[in-house]
Amino acid sequence: MAGSKREEHLPHWLLHAVLIVMTLVTVYPILWVLTIAFSGKQSLALVDLPATPTTADRLRAVVPWPGHPNMANFVSVMKDQPFARWLVNSAIVALATTALGVFLACTAGYAFSRFRFPGRRAGLMSFLVSQMFPGVLTLIPLYIIVVKWLGLGSTRTGLVLVYATTSIPFCVWMLKGYFDTIPKDLEEAALIDGASAPTIFLRIVLPLAKPAIAVTALFSFMWGWNEFILAATLIDKEDMYTAPVGLGFFVGGFSQQWGYFAAGAIIVSIPVVALFFYLQRYLISGLTAGSVKG
Amino acid sequence: MKGPLIQRVRFGVGLAVGSALAIGLAFALLAAERRQALQARDERIAVVRVRALTEAVGGLAVPSENGLQPLLIAWKARLPGSPPARVVATQGIRLEASTFPQDVGDKAAPRRLEREEKPLFDQAARLHAAVETNRSEGAPRVEEIEVTKTPSGGLGLASPVERDGAVVGMVQVETPASVRRIRPNAAVALLCFAAPVALFLLFSRVVGERRWILGLLAAVLLAGALAFYARHSQRVLETDRRELETAVAEETRAQTAALPSVLSAVSVSAPIHPETWDSDLFRRPRSLVRADGRLDEERLRREIDSRAAEARKAIAGVGALAMALLAFVGFGGAARLGVTLRKNREAYAYITPAMLGMIVLVFFPFLYGIAISFTDQTIYTTSKPLSEIWVGLTNYAQILGDFHIARRAADGALVFNYLNFYWTFLFTVVWTVCNVTIGVSVGLVLALILNTPGLALRPLYRVLLILPWAVPNYITALIWRGMFHQQFGVINQMIQIFGGQPISWFQKPFTSFITALATNGWLSFPFMMVISLGALQSIPEEIYEAARVEGATRWQQFRAITLPSLKPALIPAIIISVVWTFNMFNIIYLVTAGEPAGSTEILITQAYKFAFQKYRYGYAAAYSVVIFLILLIYGTIQNRATKATEAI
Repeated sequence: MAGSKREEHLPHWLLHAVLIVMTLVTVYPILWVLTIAFSGKQSLALVDLPATPTTADRLRAVVPWPGHPNMANFVSVMKDQPFARWLVNSAIVALATTALGVFLACTAGYAFSRFRFPGRRAGLMSFLVSQMFPGVLTLIPLYIIVVKWLGLGSTRTGLVLVYATTSIPFCVWMLKGYFDTIPKDLEEAALIDGASAPTIFLRIVLPLAKPAIAVTALFSFMWGWNEFILAATLIDKEDMYTAPVGLGFFVGGFSQQWGYFAAGAIIVSIPVVALFFYLQRYLISGLTAGSVKG
Repeated sequence: MKGPLIQRVRFGVGLAVGSALAIGLAFALLAAERRQALQARDERIAVVRVRALTEAVGGLAVPSENGLQPLLIAWKARLPGSPPARVVATQGIRLEASTFPQDVGDKAAPRRLEREEKPLFDQAARLHAAVETNRSEGAPRVEEIEVTKTPSGGLGLASPVERDGAVVGMVQVETPASVRRIRPNAAVALLCFAAPVALFLLFSRVVGERRWILGLLAAVLLAGALAFYARHSQRVLETDRRELETAVAEETRAQTAALPSVLSAVSVSAPIHPETWDSDLFRRPRSLVRADGRLDEERLRREIDSRAAEARKAIAGVGALAMALLAFVGFGGAARLGVTLRKNREAYAYITPAMLGMIVLVFFPFLYGIAISFTDQTIYTTSKPLSEIWVGLTNYAQILGDFHIARRAADGALVFNYLNFYWTFLFTVVWTVCNVTIGVSVGLVLALILNTPGLALRPLYRVLLILPWAVPNYITALIWRGMFHQQFGVINQMIQIFGGQPISWFQKPFTSFITALATNGWLSFPFMMVISLGALQSIPEEIYEAARVEGATRWQQFRAITLPSLKPALIPAIIISVVWTFNMFNIIYLVTAGEPAGSTEILITQAYKFAFQKYRYGYAAAYSVVIFLILLIYGTIQNRATKATEAI
């Protein structure tokens, strides 16, 4: 592997240096979130600088380390603030969005990949174009439809319906790309063995498409878990807030409760980050499989 | 296929379906209208009552020694049908008088409001605020009479009491549930549906298989039936309306007759203004009932006519829909559609759930938004039909026709107009290009480094480097904004460590832009890194070995092998990240918030501000449509150039 002598491989220490610098830049803001969360304070600045700070003082101010680490912010955000309830709302919404979104995307993606029918190209293109709809344009009509016509304002059902449908285009395109790479021979063989079309879809195609489905699920979950503006528009009861809306509540307007925000942010991020890393191995193959074939 | 009967049957079915749709919709519209009229009747009579009582209460300059209680009792006694009423005074948080059944014994008025009666006080405070708001804005925006549904199905009304121009309390009444129920005559509708079909069956025998004449015949019959039904509806509605206004006028007369004697019960005589009682919820008189309690016939006629014109528009819409359906079925479109659906039923079955959701919650809102973009809808006009506030292309002309991008200030410096569309557009393009360039180059370099065989700690680096993608972006955006804080932010602290001066990042367009760029660059490189890494790993090592045997340098290998193999994965990723960045709402909105003075606004955040800070919905919608068109043009060009979707 190491190649011939002529090769001007860059020395590994240089690569490590680049990687270390980049990694530091990458994790620095995240370390700040952790620092503020564990500081037990509500302010953004953790070190009270003297009037004429020395370089050492300033150095202390830029190192992300809470003076006396404690869990006070976590305890009070869960106990004194309705954050636990918002988390439950978010979890229900995100899980239901994932289930509904993946179901809708799998069936539609499969049809777009396997069948040739009038309207197929138009349907695929319209899904693609819908990705370009500016959210602001649809926000007011969506409010009218969901709140006034369907009567689903301030409900989880309303949010789930909106999230699941808005995540369809991306998911369908990804799944369709992946389904395209699964050879048709398998299905034809099963057909000869007398399997019905739904059986083939459920037993053969879906298991083979696991990596792409995992990515789709991750995407839908993250969309439902992280979305902010639609939730803020469609929900106006405080006890129906989702976690992102609740977090915005801590540092929006005139309140500057950075400690609650940071503690909440960590709680919110943990499931997403965990899922993200768990599904990582699927992520790369799922995202690239559809496109690499060109 | 084309049997001798086929044309007649098709048009017959088309007519049946079309007229079922048209008459059915018209019937539903009529029913809804009558239901609304019934509700309006209860509400308007209740408004007259509460306004009359409010005037009596407000007319007492100083409450008599027994307070207001005798007045309410007299009102109830003189007008037997009167609902129970309450008077709440804001000052002293008092229940001044009440004829509610629960306010007796030790709860009898006058007394202080109790803790559990706080909603009453809150309501009075809300009404106070509403009157003040409307007065200070000079426009009716908040309703000054609150109408709520009571648990028993009746109406609860609250109206502010004013003395010397200041709100001092409120009068509340609760009417019982209305039991009247009206339904439109179903027999007329049935007749209007069946008659044209029967006539068509009759005439079509004479006409034979000439399809244009058959089509014309069906259309005429359909139009005739619908016109007949429309006239019928109009007559019903007019009768309803007259009945409603008469009832309101009667109530006004009854109150007018009783009020002097009610007032004399508390030994007061004050002038009353019956013509103001019949009002909308902003307390603006409808002016249909004159001071003597008679109806103003001329005004009523005008109102009825204007309502009829609206109804005609709705009926015309229904008619057009029915005609389209008739033509579709009659000329064989439906039959062809049926064949297609049957042939591909499996595919359509798989697609239907997703498509249905997309149509209701994605495509329809989009089209509705486009319709709004042709109006000058604002927060004040959301309840008006779009046709009333239609302005055509005015919004687009205002957005695209304004070229005042910059002007020369007195000292010769160039001053930009940051609200100008072209400034924002230019800024958005620069923003997108910079971000995608940073994302791709940093992502690619890191991917190449991470792909070096035998490099230690690779999995650890990779995990840490993907983190920005994994953490929700609104969280990191807010933290980045905090890091750029002029006084407390760590970035300025670092600058000072190296002896620099702290920068007020958000006071100059350029530095403000840098903050957003740093944040978004940080957020977007992991995506590109992961994509590139995936593509790099799929390149077989043998190709490189073969190249090395041929004596290719490393740079040559990169140019000839690595880049071409990256292309199929990178190009779609770049296309999608251009679209994402172009509309990257969260970062701009949360990090720079457009500061200073909207100079770092991108198109999408600008549109959001027009909609939700200036409440110009129509203008914001037009702005958004322009954004969409820009993206669509970009997408089409990109698609042509890369042939990305050719293979589908």
